[in-house]
This record gives sequence, structure tokens and C-alpha cells, in this order.
Amino acid sequence: MHTELEHQQALARLLRELPDDAARPYDWREFQRRAQAAPAAAARVAGLRALAAVIVITLAVLATAIRLGAGPRPPHPPAAPVAADNAVVTAAGGDASRAEREDTAARYWLERLPREPALVHVGTRSAVETLEDHIAQVDDLLTTERAGSAPTERVRVLQQERAQLVSSLVQVRYAETLADASR
Amino acid sequence: MTRLVEIAVPDEVRERACAGEEGARQLIYAEVAPATFALIRRLVGNRSAAEDVFQDTMMILFERLREFRQEAPLGAWLRQIAISRCLMYLRSPWRRVLVCLEGGDEIGALALARPTTAAPAPEAIDLERALATLAPTARTVLWMYEVEGYSHAEIAATFGRSVSFSKSQLARAHLKLRAWFEPQGNPPTCTLS
Repeated sequence: MHTELEHQQALARLLRELPDDAARPYDWREFQRRAQAAPAAAARVAGLRALAAVIVITLAVLATAIRLGAGPRPPHPPAAPVAADNAVVTAAGGDASRAEREDTAARYWLERLPREPALVHVGTRSAVETLEDHIAQVDDLLTTERAGSAPTERVRVLQQERAQLVSSLVQVRYAETLADASR
Repeated sequence: MTRLVEIAVPDEVRERACAGEEGARQLIYAEVAPATFALIRRLVGNRSAAEDVFQDTMMILFERLREFRQEAPLGAWLRQIAISRCLMYLRSPWRRVLVCLEGGDEIGALALARPTTAAPAPEAIDLERALATLAPTARTVLWMYEVEGYSHAEIAATFGRSVSFSKSQLARAHLKLRAWFEPQGNPPTCTLS
């Protein structure tokens, strides 16, 4: 703990002593020139961003249209069997027609599924940072509760929560390892 | 270089600047610009982006100079504006696209590009490089806490997050910098527990 504190103090001192000579700004005349040019530049950037947004939206719409319309369209569920079923049900108890109707519905549902499975790769950074933040929060609470001689039950609950968070973090890290190994 | 938070401007100059006198504005600019730009450059990294953020910050300074209530030195007020603009830049999706396209920040090049006559200290170059490896958020929290003297509560308020967020970001930055400086030593222990 002592070493950690010393390290932090040494680092803070080094950071404060870092030279800033490379960070010289431009002079007053250049500032004025840029200030006068700023409205035009802002308008140009806004125009470019709007153009980029339009392109992205168009591409998204096209991709969606291609995705939905590429394969053969699934047949609509037949309306006739429903009407026919009523007659069959009345006539023969409906067992065969119910099975047929369920079969048709299942086929219709299966045909509506995408032709290719969609794979979504999600980064773990956000999950890891959230878990670490939660662990830090629980640590803070634990320190506060212990300092205030809180009931052991409350401390136990916090410890359990912390253990669960750490376990989740370990699982995410393990999943990262597996994903790295499979690449 | 004087720290930005310590820079004060005489009332008379400030009033003249508020009235739109160019000479007074130029005086204020000369006084605060170096420290302001140095801070922005530290937080933003990329020089051209830092110049944009700096321009915004200085324009806001002159636009809102009448709102300055003199509760602290002008530099402290300006520092808040500068940090706020830096965070807006770091959070913007536009900046993330640029980082992807350009391959990251330039902070590591600061030490190598320094136009000073004296040779930079080796530990300063190492530290510049180590800082460049930090995520922008962790770097900003580290700088605000260790150099600018912000408290965790103030950092949390600036980011709109919890105090724990600030503490964990600082701990993460320390851990990474320590690993950078002690690659063959004992692995650093987690400071969260």
C-alpha cells in the first residue's frame, strides 16, 4: 500500500513537471482570421455531415431492401384451408385438418426466417468497464459500511454482490480468451 | 509557464475587453492562450483537433466575458470552459471516426517534436509515450486529478458520472502507467479491492 502511494505521488510529480513547450498556440492575428472564417467553415462541415448522413441512411435503406427482397418471397398463409377446416371440423372431428393447419403454419414461419444466420460481434470493453465500475462502487460501499460498523448482514450482502460481479468479470474475460483462441 | 488556474487579468483590462476593445482582448489572449492551449493539447492529443477546440474555447471566452462573475481568477473560469469543450470533442462520434481513420492520437509525438534547445529528459519522453497508451477518458481523469487538482466529486460532476467512475478510471490509469514503467517487475496489484 505504501509503495502504491509512493508510485502515485511520483507519477503526479512527473506529470506536473512535463514540459509544455511543444504546445504553443497560434498568435492573435491567426485567431482573428480563424474567428472570421469560422461561420463559413462550420457551414461547410455541417453540409458535409448532412451529406454523409444522407449517404448512410440511403445505404441502410438499400441494404434492408436487399435483405428483405433478395430471397424468394415466402408464400402467404393460405386463407382457403381456414375456411375448408371449418367444414372438415364439422364433418370429421378436425384432427387431420388441425395437424395440416399446424404444419402449414410451421412451414410458413420457417420460410419467413432469414436465409442466412446473422452473426453479431459485440466488443467486451463496455461490459468490462461497467463491471469494473460496479465493483469499485461496491468496494466504496463496503469501506463505508465497515468504517461505520454496519450490521454484518449488510456487509455480507455486499460481499456476495461483489463476488458475483467478480465472477461475471471472470466469465467475460474467459469468453474473450476463447474468442481470441478461435480466431 | 504559469498554470491556467492561477492566471488573473486586471479588472480594467477585462472591462475594456467586454466593451469590445481589440487591444484589451489581445492582452487577455496573450496572457491565457499558452496555458489554455497546453491543457487542451494534453487532453485532446491531436494537434489540429486541439487547435479547433482551442479556437472554440477562446471564442466562447470573448463571447461570454460579461458573464464572468470574478468568484475565481479568470484562468479558473476559462479552464472549466476548455475542459468542457475537450470532453464534448472526445465524446463526439465524429472524433471517433477520425481516430479510426488516422490511427490514434499524437500525444506520443509531443516529446519527439518538441522544438526546445535543451534535450528532453528520458523519463519525460517515456511518460509522454505512456500517456499516449491511455484511453482518452482515463487520460483526462488522470490529468484533471493529478495535475489540475480536481477532486473526484468535481471530475464526476464534469463527466456527469459517479464518483466511483472517477476513482476507477484513475485507478485504471495508474495501473496501466505502472505496468508501462515496470514491465519486468512484480505485476501490479489491483487497487480496487
